[in-house]
Amino acid sequence: VRDDDLSDLYEDAPCGYISLTSDARIDRLNGTLAGWLGQPAEVLVGQSVHALLSFGGRIAYETHLAPMLRLQGRVDEIALDLLGADGARVPVIANAREKRNGAGDHLFTRITMFRAIERRKFERSLIDARSEADAKAEAEHETSLLREQFIAVLGHDLRNPIAALDAGVRMLGGRETLSERGQFLIREMGASLSRASALIDNVLDFARGRLGDGLTLIRDAKDPLTPVLEQVVNEIRAIAPNREIVTHLLLEHPVDCDRARIAQLASNLIANAVTHGTPNQAIVVKAYIESDRFVLAVSNGGDPIPSAARAQLFQPFFRGGVRQSQQGLGLGLFIVNEIAKAHGGTLDVSSTPKETRFIFSMPIHSIPEPKSA
Amino acid sequence: MMVLRRNNVRVLGQGSRAMIFAHGFGCDQHMWTAVARAFETDFRTVLFDHVGAGQSDLAAYDSVKYSTLDGYAQDVVEIGQALDLHEAVFVGHSVSAMIGALASLKAPDMFSELVMVGPSPRYVDDGDYVGGFSHAQVEELLDFLAENHLGWSAAMAPAIMGNPDRPELGEALTESFCATDPKIAREFARVTFFSDNRVDLPAVTARTLVLQCREDIIAPTCVGEYVHAQLPNSEFVLLNATGHCPNLSAPNEVTAAIRAFV
Repeated sequence: VRDDDLSDLYEDAPCGYISLTSDARIDRLNGTLAGWLGQPAEVLVGQSVHALLSFGGRIAYETHLAPMLRLQGRVDEIALDLLGADGARVPVIANAREKRNGAGDHLFTRITMFRAIERRKFERSLIDARSEADAKAEAEHETSLLREQFIAVLGHDLRNPIAALDAGVRMLGGRETLSERGQFLIREMGASLSRASALIDNVLDFARGRLGDGLTLIRDAKDPLTPVLEQVVNEIRAIAPNREIVTHLLLEHPVDCDRARIAQLASNLIANAVTHGTPNQAIVVKAYIESDRFVLAVSNGGDPIPSAARAQLFQPFFRGGVRQSQQGLGLGLFIVNEIAKAHGGTLDVSSTPKETRFIFSMPIHSIPEPKSA
Repeated sequence: MMVLRRNNVRVLGQGSRAMIFAHGFGCDQHMWTAVARAFETDFRTVLFDHVGAGQSDLAAYDSVKYSTLDGYAQDVVEIGQALDLHEAVFVGHSVSAMIGALASLKAPDMFSELVMVGPSPRYVDDGDYVGGFSHAQVEELLDFLAENHLGWSAAMAPAIMGNPDRPELGEALTESFCATDPKIAREFARVTFFSDNRVDLPAVTARTLVLQCREDIIAPTCVGEYVHAQLPNSEFVLLNATGHCPNLSAPNEVTAAIRAFV
């Protein structure tokens, strides 16, 4: 055998060769391919190309490969399983070209094939690994969604018993004659209840945000904001009667905001100041308007926030180093920041040994939504 | 218009009546180029890509909407409405034959004639009904689609999808006519080969031509005959063409058969 023996070059090539007629019948194939298939070439010649393909491969040939060959004259790097004589699969990678005459009539289609058992196995394992990862991610996503839905439902349902307890505590405090110790306990119970409802509100807002609803605002520029802020301060004074809260509320222009949300924001910031600030320094609440922006600043004394913690302050479930009994869920500042963002505003913090100050600022006129094209 | 962009609708030709061509599972509107050209002298010809195929807007693909052929039929109706089609001819290849039947039921005045090329109302065998497929065989096809992305490049898709007004970005993809997002291709394969529209056939009122190929493993002759028998007002023509895509392999024979019918 010489290397310039073209017949041997065809028959014994290190790849499979096959030619198909224009009606997709096998015209000839080389010895290498016949050997892989375990059938003499004479048996296969004249049969449809379908005889070599699994049923799935036949559908793919008819729906994809034949049209692609017709439209672009070639297909490359097709992964196929050929059917051998005993039904065994021969995994191959195939390239095909259509041969046409000058008038554009289809003469025949030539296909070269490379047996690719290991490569196809490797690719198959990659596909399996990816679908496994996809399925896992999908399952995890569903679980986390369920968990968030559960939190939302739980938070919602907890509101009713808390409201009932709160009504009872108010009734006891208002109408019943109580000992001094009794009055003290009722006040403490009231404070605990309002902290519990604030926690639930935060959890519900967080779950709503995570479930994709986001914060929806009911803006109203007409009603004054000052009484709302005063009420928030008074509620906290009632809970923490020993703490001094100084207010400077100077709002001479209306603010186009959701007043309930701004109340929630102020309440969270002031309650934080009560929890983290030193008791022997007054909490200062300032509200004013400066170059068309509404500014709310809440400051307290005490140890400054460590700079490492400052970066994570607005992350959900972040809790600074506080006493165990006062630990919340770590959602307060996250929600405050979300309310600020929903208003097109900003939340900044400065913290020095002298004072820690949270500054919320937002435009007093809401910016109209851009019209969608 | 959104619909026309979404389905990459191209209107050519002139005439008082319109003829709309729908491609089947596999490639895109290029399947119909040769046949549609032959009708441009006396018909307004409409070519389009199903969402997910060809140069359609991939961002409009929605796994829920397109989990049944009904979602695709709804698109055909919307295209018909956008182009104000009445008494038009709907020519559907493969699975689009049934999509056309469903569209004609949704909008009875839109199409007075249906041409079904290689139709099948159900591919998987069911009791006495022979569709030609088994479940396992459809799974083999899904495996093939998982392993062969046929020129699809995930890296290209965002560039094309994000720049619908820069068609040159899509030109690399038109090189490969059957290039489809593999995930969409698999879902379309599932919807197609697990569909069952046998109950819809007797309700079709439009005059229908069933074009049947020889040696078509996807839509065997017995299935074409079943479709013909179930349709109240249909003609059946057995072509000399073999295989499943006579619109590509024998466009002249398909053109002549449609012309004789309309």
